[in-house]
Amino acid sequence: MAGMMRNTLTAVLVRGEWLQGAFETEPYEAAWAAEALFFVRVMGVRGAVSDGAAIDWKVQLSPDGIRWVDEGTVLHVDAQPEALVFARVGHFGGWLRLVCQVPEGLEVQPVVTLSLKA
Amino acid sequence: MSSAHPTQADARLSRYDPMSRILYFDDFDDGINGWTTLVGNYEGSIETMTHSYARHTQPMLSQITHWDAGTHGAFDGTYALKIATRPVPGERNVAIKRVTFRKAARIRVETYFAFKPEANELRLSDRDVRSFGLLFDLQDGRERVMPHLRYLNALDGQRMNRWQYKRRSLPLRAIGGHNETVTHDHLSPQDWEDIPGAGQLLCYNEIPTKINWHYLRMDFDLQAMRWIDFQCNDQVFDASGVESIRMPAMPNLSCMLNLAFFCEPDTAKRAFLYLDSVVLSGEF
Repeated sequence: MAGMMRNTLTAVLVRGEWLQGAFETEPYEAAWAAEALFFVRVMGVRGAVSDGAAIDWKVQLSPDGIRWVDEGTVLHVDAQPEALVFARVGHFGGWLRLVCQVPEGLEVQPVVTLSLKA
Repeated sequence: MSSAHPTQADARLSRYDPMSRILYFDDFDDGINGWTTLVGNYEGSIETMTHSYARHTQPMLSQITHWDAGTHGAFDGTYALKIATRPVPGERNVAIKRVTFRKAARIRVETYFAFKPEANELRLSDRDVRSFGLLFDLQDGRERVMPHLRYLNALDGQRMNRWQYKRRSLPLRAIGGHNETVTHDHLSPQDWEDIPGAGQLLCYNEIPTKINWHYLRMDFDLQAMRWIDFQCNDQVFDASGVESIRMPAMPNLSCMLNLAFFCEPDTAKRAFLYLDSVVLSGEF
């Protein structure tokens, strides 16, 4: 990573897919970065949406991109269109991903982004 | 030679054979260099995007680390561009760099690449990657021309080990209600054809966590909009008779010079295409 300007890159991990049940983002390699920001934005919700319905997205780390362990950070995202939540993560090694469990009877359409900086 | 070729002044470039003018030399130790995900067209709603394009994901900067051997690193330095598919048979991923040309000259793309399946099984796995390849998306005043080249490694579990091209694409499909946006799935599984005489064995190397870098070069003439030839490692293939996907020029793509790399798995296992660096040069 040459030069004095810090490298940065934003990856879109989910681009408006409709999700239901258990979901995990594809592994993303981030070894070059020192800091990360996850954003979860809700584009749409359908199904049985009750007051206060929300989805917890958990940050996970991996030693090899294959096996995963919870990092401890959780993004609590309301099941409401245009909900927008972020979480800062540091010291994460080589890979990052998010996992969530969409409640039964609910579908969400998120945009999930990962902003990395060296 | 009385004057040294400029590549000899740079050890990183000396393993390439660029034409006289280098348009870009992207070493992924320096960052992402303009390589991004190929997003499909849409209008009004993201859901109007063709499904195969909607599944594309962002390329990454990879250190190529494995569970058994640790960090492999790139050909030089630490990082390579990684194009990773989802673990779905035939579901490709594509990374693209978009520029335009200032002269319709001969051009040459070169790269050092490696391809592997995800190392999540303790077996040879050499038939888990279906294919990898590259394409140009070009337009002059008359036509949009899309030369496609892929190495078909395996298909439905059978070793294939051959280079292929495409001259047909699926029909254009209009998107949205304004008659402004169209799409076509030019990387669909249909219509790939063998390039005559272009069989080749590559260096897979025994297990999924051993990486050997390969050289790939393709020359194309933007003036005639014709293939010239291509080379992988020690084999050079005449491509003067190889056709491209062609269609009438589209309204907003003048002088387009896009280059994309792609890969696809043959099994329910992620396929990875790694690029150490990419050089695009031209003779002008």
